[in-house]
Amino acid sequence: MIAPRNEEASRNEEASQRRPSKVNVRILRQDGPGLPAYWERHQVDYEPDMNVISVLQKVAAQATTSDGQRVPPVAWDCGCLEEVCGSCTMVINGRVRQSCSALVDRLLEADANEIELRPMSKFPVRRDLVVDRSRLFRSLQRVDAWVPVDGYYDMGPGPRISREEQEQNYPLSQCMSCGCCLEACPQYNKIEMQREPGESDADYTARKNAAFDQEFVGAAAISQAMLFNSHPVGKNLANERMEVLTGPGGIQECGNAQNCVAVCPKEIPLTTSIARAGRAATVYSIKKFFDR
Amino acid sequence: MSSPAATSTAVSFLKRHDFLIRRLHSLSGLVPVGAYMCVHLLTNASLIGGASVFQNNVFTIHSLPLLPVIEWTFIFLPIIFHAVAGVWISRNGKSNLQNYPLAGNRRYTWQRITAYIAIVFIFTHVFHLHGWFQNEWWLKNVAEPLGMANFRPYNAASSLANAMVGFIWPIFYVIGVLACTFHFANGIWTAGITWGVWLTPKSQARASIACTLFGIFIGAAGLSSLVAVKTTKAKDAEAIENEMYDARLKAHTITPDDYKRSGQHQVHERMPEPIE
Repeated sequence: MIAPRNEEASRNEEASQRRPSKVNVRILRQDGPGLPAYWERHQVDYEPDMNVISVLQKVAAQATTSDGQRVPPVAWDCGCLEEVCGSCTMVINGRVRQSCSALVDRLLEADANEIELRPMSKFPVRRDLVVDRSRLFRSLQRVDAWVPVDGYYDMGPGPRISREEQEQNYPLSQCMSCGCCLEACPQYNKIEMQREPGESDADYTARKNAAFDQEFVGAAAISQAMLFNSHPVGKNLANERMEVLTGPGGIQECGNAQNCVAVCPKEIPLTTSIARAGRAATVYSIKKFFDR
Repeated sequence: MSSPAATSTAVSFLKRHDFLIRRLHSLSGLVPVGAYMCVHLLTNASLIGGASVFQNNVFTIHSLPLLPVIEWTFIFLPIIFHAVAGVWISRNGKSNLQNYPLAGNRRYTWQRITAYIAIVFIFTHVFHLHGWFQNEWWLKNVAEPLGMANFRPYNAASSLANAMVGFIWPIFYVIGVLACTFHFANGIWTAGITWGVWLTPKSQARASIACTLFGIFIGAAGLSSLVAVKTTKAKDAEAIENEMYDARLKAHTITPDDYKRSGQHQVHERMPEPIE
């Protein structure tokens, strides 16, 4: 067992010679909603196997720019640190992805000089790299992205789902609502609203939801609608979902750029879901027209 | 003048019928606009077979009754609808090709670039050859003084050859035809997703190959007709066309119409010289 370890050690040594001692980071910061954004440069000590979260931890702990200026610690969001919660999603070197799975060594391979971090551009910034993704969660409400089984009584065993259908649905169920598909979508535009003076939480949410409900639901919600439309019990709400997908901001807003499927960290077949939703919308709208 | 309330009702009307408008936009692009474009480019390509073959096709088209009504219902109005709805749709999107230089995204962006080229091209092209309105006052006082309305259906190849003299118009047509071809071929592919014909990445890739081949075929037809126009000798073509015109007139398969003929010949040919 000695030989492999030596080999590994020499490989590490070789690698560390190539690696820099410092990592430069450029961060697009913003002090609060609606305030101007500004760039800031930071430099942190390099460590092997860093990810962007560990870089941000160092940046926040230093709270000093590379010019030596003291600044408030940078704010970011994160949760699981294993690419299943989606909360640490941001734009890294121009591409949207999770910062927990963005490995510094890989990023430096592409650009050794600097790592560029920006908040997602399609959602309102709360502070620095933290964004408000409530529109994404509203879109799941819009399409009733759930199986309607409310009540306390025993409804017996659920219907059987064929192997084929399971295989089709499992990938769709992996969606973590990170918003990558929406960030990369050229048809999904930012909606940013400000609370009016004296407006209550409920009124502000209602006003925001009314605005969200007029605009594109996006790939994630379309895919969830298809997931629950093919569930034996979820099917009960199929018409309600199709009504939303053929209403304002529905499936028709898709421009077929297919960026969503390219950036999805869970490799969900989003464009297949979109095409299935398109087919369902064709059938639903023709039925609706001739059944009335 | 529109009040803010009226504007917001107009917006909400468009929003409420967003699905219908976009599906009609998709459908109108295929039929009749796209289907017409195919027939149009293939008819033009028949000029490869010579001025007489082309003239024969044009005679057939111009023997249709109520041609202006057909033109406006199945060609002009659908194109105008497709263009207006398309501009409105494209203004809702924002290309992000710099950050995501992916094949699908490139096609998305080019679909919009070629759309704008196609709008400029088609409106100019129709003015250049057709004149927009087949109204005597309009043609004599507006279109013709501007050097437009050059096509004469009863002298098809020769009037085209005269209209395409030089290199500026031919280059304009090459760009326009290629833009329209890409827009239509790619449009068939996206329409297949929109209407739910091809679902999976595999079937979409197959459809993409088919659409590419179709685009190459239609584009080649369009370009070859342009080559044919540039190699047509107007004088020779005109002599053939006038012979064919007289024969058609004798056979009662066309109605005489001076506006469909090249000006310098009409008096000369239709009335025999008085013999002293």
